Amino acid sequence: MEMQHPVLKRTAKVVHGKNDKLAIQYMGQEVTLEGAAAKLFDKMLPFLDGNTGIGGIAERISESPKRLQSLTQQLGKTGVLGFKDADNGERITGEQFYEIHRTYVNDWLQPIYDHPFWERVVTGKATRAQVLGFAFEKYHYIEGAFEHMAIAAANATPEMMPHLARHFIEEYNHGDIYRKGLQSLFPNDLILRAQPLPSTRALVNFLSESAARNSFGYYAGNELLQMTENTGEDTDNDSINDFYDAMRKHYPYTDKVIDAFIAHTNADQKLGHENVFLEMCQSIPPLTRTEVDDALNIVRSMAEHLYLFMDGIDTFYARFPTIPRAPCDLLSE
Amino acid sequence: MATTLGQEFGIRRVYDATPKKGAGVSLRLSDRQVELGTREFDLYEKVSERVPGIRSQKEVAAELGMDQAGLGRLLAALQSAGLVYRADAVPATLSGIELHTLFNKILPSWLDEAFSHPFWERMTSGKGSRRMYSGWLIELYHYTRNANRHMPLSCAYAHEKAIKNMRAKHYAEEWNHYHYFLKALKALGFSEDSVIKSVPLPMSLALSNFMRQAARDDILAYSICSAVLEGTTVDRGAYNPYYETCAKLYDLPAESIAPIYAHLDLDVQYQHSDLFLDILGKVDSIPAARAGHILDYGHQLIEHIWLWTDSIEKYYGVESNPMPRPAFSKLLD
Repeated sequence: MEMQHPVLKRTAKVVHGKNDKLAIQYMGQEVTLEGAAAKLFDKMLPFLDGNTGIGGIAERISESPKRLQSLTQQLGKTGVLGFKDADNGERITGEQFYEIHRTYVNDWLQPIYDHPFWERVVTGKATRAQVLGFAFEKYHYIEGAFEHMAIAAANATPEMMPHLARHFIEEYNHGDIYRKGLQSLFPNDLILRAQPLPSTRALVNFLSESAARNSFGYYAGNELLQMTENTGEDTDNDSINDFYDAMRKHYPYTDKVIDAFIAHTNADQKLGHENVFLEMCQSIPPLTRTEVDDALNIVRSMAEHLYLFMDGIDTFYARFPTIPRAPCDLLSE
Repeated sequence: MATTLGQEFGIRRVYDATPKKGAGVSLRLSDRQVELGTREFDLYEKVSERVPGIRSQKEVAAELGMDQAGLGRLLAALQSAGLVYRADAVPATLSGIELHTLFNKILPSWLDEAFSHPFWERMTSGKGSRRMYSGWLIELYHYTRNANRHMPLSCAYAHEKAIKNMRAKHYAEEWNHYHYFLKALKALGFSEDSVIKSVPLPMSLALSNFMRQAARDDILAYSICSAVLEGTTVDRGAYNPYYETCAKLYDLPAESIAPIYAHLDLDVQYQHSDLFLDILGKVDSIPAARAGHILDYGHQLIEHIWLWTDSIEKYYGVESNPMPRPAFSKLLD
């Protein structure tokens, strides 16, 4: 029993309510405790740092180890508690990873969906630079496939190579779809030479760097990006169509650009990529704890880079409204 | 096909636009201040928005309610004011030394842009916090440690022996400078372990990824970025007041500032700010396209610094965000 070192997840939040009730909020779920269980948990809380075994905690709070064991096991099943000594050396299958990935990603994507930029566009409060900037940065990001997807294919592990090769071959020309939309407003040469924002460059470079060092981690991160695309399901379709309708209404000059966005969504849906990540997960050997952490670190960082991508468009174009971002020459500066 | 304005003209970068008392706007370029009346500024804005567009000169003139001759006169006036330039006036080549002279002229405007973020005013006016100061230092630690991700790469991708040697010497002198920041952070109460094991903000990582990109692309592009960064540390007169004011406002111990001064002094002692001149001295002739590409890297780095500052302010401005940021762990998160 002493070997069990319970640890409350760092992102979990304990909220004390009335009448001996408390709630543990973690990744969109809420675990409620009341009465004796809530009191016991409260007493244990200062020691749930993974450094003290169940027996040690029981001794310090003068409680029965059996009661502690029972409560921690139940909380462990909900995911809010982990056990530092648990599953040492255990490997998890790719399919198990797929499920874990889904759970974390749904939580990590939330700040991106909540970013005020979407609301600004829908209500017509975004500036011309922000709206056109959004179109340009989407183009740069999609065009970035030439870099990161190619690097991924060239550095792929044997299991991942067929997936990553197909991925590049199917998607390398998707930037052209966005470019076509931008050509309704800007000369082709200028679009090709235009510079992405540092935040867009950050996202593409992070993809490329991940692709070069960890094939599976790269695609797990890429899957997070894919999960933000329109899947063709009704709820997704509705919210994305509402966004485009509002954009057309408030910014009529973006009409052709939006046509390009939709054409790209259709092209993506035709590829039927929705099961590719699951297929990859099924094809890889079991993963060690270190490999899982490494891949999920890439995925979490990808979410942060995607947020940065959104925030960069919102913040940077508000402060520096020049659009398109023409490159320097010897007289421009 | 009719010529577009963008094929004939370029727009000078405006580093600041300040409304004048009464009416009109004062525009700051790297080499001059241009005063425009309200009507002239309005016309300038309309022209600068249309230069990168797809409309012919005749169409642009009609949009502005003038004939082509009128548009020609307006462009000539803007040209003589220094706000626009003819594309055919860009020199075909220049020497390395000439590029350095140009760089020296524009660097002060670039640095003003990099440090134009409200974070600095906030920190020196007492509206910042010790937490924000410490967060900035943590990210500076990561940036400095990550020099090991790009400086050696610049040696690997430099093709000429003389430049390889200069880049290698620079790396040898700088590789372990992150210890200064670690020392400062320890004086602020952070444990060595928590700092070493922490992960940088995405924009801090983006800075080093951008430097890696530059290193692989063009050694002169890398070197201008390196020179921009050295340019941020050479002027003790400009930076000492920042540290001294922060120390006073946020009750920072002297031991947390001393290592930073020691680092700045060492940079000055090594004369790293002269390195770009030494490198360009080895280059007889640079075609205009490559020179533009090099300048572009320099300016993009400036934009990276601005957005980096923005990220630091946003992340460390939220009290509940972990500091330093731990890496993801499936067990703990």
